[in-house]
Amino acid sequence: MRGTEGTEKRGTEMRGTETLKGKILHYLRAINAENIKEWKIELKYKPDFIRQFFEPFVYLLPYFLYGFALLGSRNSEHLKSLTGISDIFAFIFVGYLIMGFLNTACWAMGASLRKEQWYGTLETIFVAPVPRWVYVAGMALHSTLHQGLIMLIEAVVVVFIFKIFFNISGLFYSLILLLLMISTLYGLGILVAGLTIGLKQWWVISEAVSTLITIITPIAYPLAILPLFLQKIALFLPTTYGVMGIRHFLLGEHLTISVPAIFVRIAVMLIIWIGFGLMIFLIMDRYGRKKGALSLY
Amino acid sequence: MNIILAEIKKSYKILLAYPVEIAFWIFSPLLWAVPLIFQGKALVGSLSSENFGAVTGTPDFIPYVLIGAIISTYMASSVWSMGFAMRDETYYGTLEHILSAPVKPVYILLGKALFNSLLATTYVIIQLSICVLIFGLQITIHKIVPIVFFLILLIAGLYGIGFAAAGLTLLVKEAHGLLHLFEYVLFLFSPIRYPVEINPITKAVSIFIPLTYALIALRGLLLNIRFDFWKNSCILIGIDIIIIPLGLYIFNWVDRHTRQKGTLAEY
Repeated sequence: MRGTEGTEKRGTEMRGTETLKGKILHYLRAINAENIKEWKIELKYKPDFIRQFFEPFVYLLPYFLYGFALLGSRNSEHLKSLTGISDIFAFIFVGYLIMGFLNTACWAMGASLRKEQWYGTLETIFVAPVPRWVYVAGMALHSTLHQGLIMLIEAVVVVFIFKIFFNISGLFYSLILLLLMISTLYGLGILVAGLTIGLKQWWVISEAVSTLITIITPIAYPLAILPLFLQKIALFLPTTYGVMGIRHFLLGEHLTISVPAIFVRIAVMLIIWIGFGLMIFLIMDRYGRKKGALSLY
Repeated sequence: MNIILAEIKKSYKILLAYPVEIAFWIFSPLLWAVPLIFQGKALVGSLSSENFGAVTGTPDFIPYVLIGAIISTYMASSVWSMGFAMRDETYYGTLEHILSAPVKPVYILLGKALFNSLLATTYVIIQLSICVLIFGLQITIHKIVPIVFFLILLIAGLYGIGFAAAGLTLLVKEAHGLLHLFEYVLFLFSPIRYPVEINPITKAVSIFIPLTYALIALRGLLLNIRFDFWKNSCILIGIDIIIIPLGLYIFNWVDRHTRQKGTLAEY
């Protein structure tokens, strides 16, 4: 009897392991399918796909030219006294480059559900045998790959044209910090995607959120320039730590927060933002179904 | 006239269904200018710059960028609202209905243009009031007439571009790319955020954009910067005379073309 019980137990354990493994594989396949589907849709509209690679330059250059008009050169003594960096192009560029991922989180992920609604495929996707977060994770994977490619091209072109020099030894820590920041921002992306279920006009939410974060994050200016209340709010944003930390590693910006504190705070934010984003997404999903607002325009 | 009024009424009703959009368009252009103000303060260390004054005629960069931001409301309205005027109807599933109505499509487009220009002007008035109350921007009464004059010339030119954009979106369908292209050209090569004179390429391209002359004139009037009134007026009128018929021609051509090809209802 004992032997039979043991065999049954082992069988159940194996089935459990297989089920879990199968489930994970099933989810990963769904995530990848979503990623591939997004690439296919984007490549279908080639001019728009190519256009996205030019966009960062259009928004970056006015910052450069405005700074140049203010100073008459690319070096600022005042900026140096605040941050230790005098080259305004290098300072702005690093901040701006990193913020590209904010747009991915707010726009690409925020628009994901609304686009499915336009295409008339939202309900079809929502009845697929996978949890909702799998769909969002697929969007996040696609967004990361796409934005990463845009960033890479932008970085190569700008560094080459404007002759910006980085501290290469800081690259490793910068990439870790970037990864943490992106992951945290995806919490925001999930939140925006969820809000679009109930509020519909996703672009207003995306634009409002990204505008406010862009103002508060020290992209083209140091944190000390912001009014005190905004400085305090900035400390709750992952982008603040991402931009300041990476600029510290690559350009040697003087920090008012220690490096370990930056990593700890952004790791804590990662848990909070992802948890909060998922929670809002699930609440809005349930709300949408209950109210029958899912298919409403 | 009835068609135009009906279109305005319909657009107004749709707008009221999305009230968040109204608040967004009032505050966003001003918020977009805030990073430039902080950037200026960080780079210069004060709120005025001699170098900036030498290029623009005013050392105070805050009113300069605020005026650029406010006037960019018209740019956004002409490019995005007009560009998506017909595409939105596709999304709503009503494009075929309105185009099969016994009216010329151009009247529907004019109704949308008039509605968008009125709406953008309302936003601009509110934004200017905010700037007067919070940032201390001064507008003297006798300057209102020339300001309105230049605004009308600007709106006419931009909506000429808007007509073309509305037509082209019927042709290329996924209009984001095309509209972004319009926006990029206007955004990068006109003095919305920075003085285009600072770079020879941006200066050369800006000559062909109506927004350049309107911004020179409006900043001149609001900030007491010397500018050539007649030169800017004549150039703007000249651009309007070319752009408006061209925009309408493109819209009519695309409308005819898509009907002949049977691609009107395609996504």
